[in-house]
Amino acid sequence: MNIKILDSWLRDYLKTKASAYEIAEKLSLTSVSVEKVENYGKDYIYDLEVTTNRPDLFCVVGIARETAAILPQFGIKAEFIPPVFEKVKTQDNIPLKILSDPKLVNRVLAVTMDVTITQSEEEIKKRLETSGIRSLNNVIDITNYVMRVLGHPTHVFDFDRLNTKELLIREARKGEQIETLDNKIYALKGGEIVAINDNNEIVDLLGIMGLANSVVTNETKKILFFIDNNDHKHMRKASMELGIRTEAATLNEKGIDTDIAMDALLFGISLFKNNADAKNISSILDIYPNKQITRIIPVSIRRINTLVGVNIDIRKSQKALEALGFKTNLKTDVIEVLVPSFRVNDIEIEEDVIEEIARIYGYHNLPSIIPPISDTITPYLPVNEFYWEKRVKQAMKYFGFTECYTYSFVSENMFEGPLNQAVEIVNPLTSDFIYMRNTIIPSLLEVVSNNKQFQELRIFEIANIYKKNENDLPFEKVMFAGVLKKEKANFYEVKGLIEQVLYDLGIDKLTFKPSDKGGIGASIFIENDYLGEIEILDTTLIDFELDFSIILKFATNRKKFKHFAKYPPIVEDLTIVVDSDISTEKLIDEIQTQSKLITEVGLKDTYENSRTFHIVFQDFDKNLTKEDAAIIRNKIISSLKATFNAKFK
Amino acid sequence: MEDELIGIKNAALTFILEAIDPKELEETKLQFLGKSGKLTLAIKEISSVPKEKRKEIGMLANEVKQTIEQTIKDQEQVLSKQKKSNLIEKIDVTNPGIKPALGHLHLITQAIDEITQIFEHLGFNRVRYSEVDWDYYAFTALNFPKDHPARDEWETFFIKSQENPKNGKMVLIPHTSSGQIREMERVKPPIRMLNIAKCYRRQSDVSHTPMFHQFEGLVIDKNISITHLKGTLEYFVKSYFGEKRKSRIRPYHFQFTEPSFEVDVSCGVCLGIGCKLCKAGWLEMGGAGMVHPSVLKAGGIDSKEYTGFAFGWGVERVLMMKEDMEIDDLRLLYSNDLRFLEQF
Repeated sequence: MNIKILDSWLRDYLKTKASAYEIAEKLSLTSVSVEKVENYGKDYIYDLEVTTNRPDLFCVVGIARETAAILPQFGIKAEFIPPVFEKVKTQDNIPLKILSDPKLVNRVLAVTMDVTITQSEEEIKKRLETSGIRSLNNVIDITNYVMRVLGHPTHVFDFDRLNTKELLIREARKGEQIETLDNKIYALKGGEIVAINDNNEIVDLLGIMGLANSVVTNETKKILFFIDNNDHKHMRKASMELGIRTEAATLNEKGIDTDIAMDALLFGISLFKNNADAKNISSILDIYPNKQITRIIPVSIRRINTLVGVNIDIRKSQKALEALGFKTNLKTDVIEVLVPSFRVNDIEIEEDVIEEIARIYGYHNLPSIIPPISDTITPYLPVNEFYWEKRVKQAMKYFGFTECYTYSFVSENMFEGPLNQAVEIVNPLTSDFIYMRNTIIPSLLEVVSNNKQFQELRIFEIANIYKKNENDLPFEKVMFAGVLKKEKANFYEVKGLIEQVLYDLGIDKLTFKPSDKGGIGASIFIENDYLGEIEILDTTLIDFELDFSIILKFATNRKKFKHFAKYPPIVEDLTIVVDSDISTEKLIDEIQTQSKLITEVGLKDTYENSRTFHIVFQDFDKNLTKEDAAIIRNKIISSLKATFNAKFK
Repeated sequence: MEDELIGIKNAALTFILEAIDPKELEETKLQFLGKSGKLTLAIKEISSVPKEKRKEIGMLANEVKQTIEQTIKDQEQVLSKQKKSNLIEKIDVTNPGIKPALGHLHLITQAIDEITQIFEHLGFNRVRYSEVDWDYYAFTALNFPKDHPARDEWETFFIKSQENPKNGKMVLIPHTSSGQIREMERVKPPIRMLNIAKCYRRQSDVSHTPMFHQFEGLVIDKNISITHLKGTLEYFVKSYFGEKRKSRIRPYHFQFTEPSFEVDVSCGVCLGIGCKLCKAGWLEMGGAGMVHPSVLKAGGIDSKEYTGFAFGWGVERVLMMKEDMEIDDLRLLYSNDLRFLEQF
């Protein structure tokens, strides 16, 4: 949450010679981030980002106190000037009874008075508006002014319009309706804290927003100044469910110190007296069932030094803690710390106190030490999936492919298969991003169609796909996919690419079978494991998608040296004419089985019906003669004739 | 005889020097030095020269032979150089070369590789935990009570599925911090984790994409302190951004760390002086902190025995902070526009 305050306002409660820039810098280093210091004539405006755990800093006094505590750590003199509240004479008994519920309201304070509505004086107007709060009239402005100074939201009703002798505070029932002061109608969900008057009308939505039926107007003569400190869980629920995120609500949902409520009341009363001509100030009604808790936390000095990493001068820290509002008691090994009421929600355990000590010491004062290397963590490459991913990616790069990063979620028409099998997002950002994809190909094809000016494209991606797993977490599988777009896209270019990339990873036993997945292409296997598919989409487009876990299963850097053969091989070509139905694989297998001395058979060329094979004969120990080769060749020929009715050229 | 020999020499030299290709040279060689070459035959005649003149003639003949042989050698060189220079003259060296294929790795991959290398130097072990996880791992175990306001900031995507009684709803991880719990369940200290994974948040604008990457470090050991976090952070900043860049930590708040820090890097453009691109010389890099005792407990680790620090930063963010990349819209990284990808 961001808060803006005038430097001059801050200095009502802070005495120091430090400049606004110095204050901003030191605060950022040790307490709270001052994102900006703006010039405002001769004055300055601080823009601070206050974290959710420090609602006590969401006010001028809180920031002043914090600043006064930390500036001395930098050798800059500073003093906190706590607000002092004028003692105002109150008179008759307050003409109001309040029936409250300690489960809902920790404390409620009320006072009535006669007022004169006018515009606020310049100083108050300026302070509010530079803080982002619109000035309306003196009475409403005072409620906001008090909140801004002390950090406790306050409220004011037109007492006459309330038209009641009693206020009942209870939880709303589902369906009850209210009209907020900005004239919006809400149907309550049940559980919101509301106040009811004698006529059974809801006159307030406590801690969130005032209502139209009781809001102060220019005609208001008598006000009820009302400060409620409520159960923060109720505040959070109401604010989120109704979608009303006022500053009061965002403060109240964090739980505000009940002790501050009385300060806020007294401060308000004196402001009404001085700025709204308040008269006939009633007695103060204070219903305070849930006293503010505090706690004492013992902090081990050894632990402070361990966590911070240096031996801190605990006495110096003590002074700083006290400036921050803590009470301390230093013993030999332990420092006991009494948490101030306004920090009780934030400081619960030892480590919370250590954070206070450390940040004041100054993180910039700590040395930088590299943690020791652990000897139990050893990187063993072969099982390192990231190593193999990198190898594949680099190979693809040097084979001319460009890597893409497409979104994991896809639209309905990009999801393949039945939607009830999809991992679905309940609150998608747009309808393009609803389902977690179960294939990468449609995303890559979308890249192709978004890059129409490129006639040739070679793209790939390695990313997860997601498969529903009943009510358990879905399976996440890494896939390696790619697309080739080219005027005459060649299946063999894609096949060769995959073979070469995998060969470099030590995988050379790939089998290709005609695809049985419905399209035209090939299914690829490594031994008996299914690796993936190559799919020919049309004459210009071919894609492939492989299961990376199978690649990981077989990838290896293990190499074994093979001794060189003593004698040179005999290499021959054999051209066969055979039915085109008979796969090259079958022919090669048949040739290979004819002799152990055939070390290599490869398809060299094809022309119409004939296929030329390049055959290598080699004996590791003996020098093969042409006659030896001829015997084997004849065996090959007769076998091919018999099995496949082959003819020879 | 002398005249004959000198005549042969001159004739041979003339032919040699006029030869325009190795074939001609070879022919000339044969003609003069071959079995029935002119010089060879002349040398055979030396035996019929008077005895007292034989030595002198012999020496002359030898000299002629050597001269012819050397000249042939030299001419072979000249011809071969000429052949080369004929070839070279035919080439325009300024014509474009024939380049082998070269594709591109995505900037995010490049960044992840670099980040991984830097942390591996410090002994970190890279992991990648799942992208779809339970609310328990993403929030509850990280010390976010149910319905806590702090959860709002994470703008989480929820997955349609039955709520698990122990683990709550199923989400797309909005940060890699869920990996901290996963790591602590998987291994016991000492821990040096680098978890890099995809994260998801319901936001899309100039500096946010609904899918992005984070890298999360977790160090748990005996006596780990804030000084170790500073040391690690400084090492990363100098390695990734350069020696001149500085880093600092400031107080902040996260549910899962105590103390918590915001991490700043000095601006690469103004080098820390202050300019319109940075906040008074500093750029925010991300969050960090000492692991909260509740988180250690959720991970089954005794916070009295072990302490640790953690940090979680955006890969795209540090990438864009590097050497004025001048990428002004994060969404470009996911546009997969080839004109973008091919620049890197």
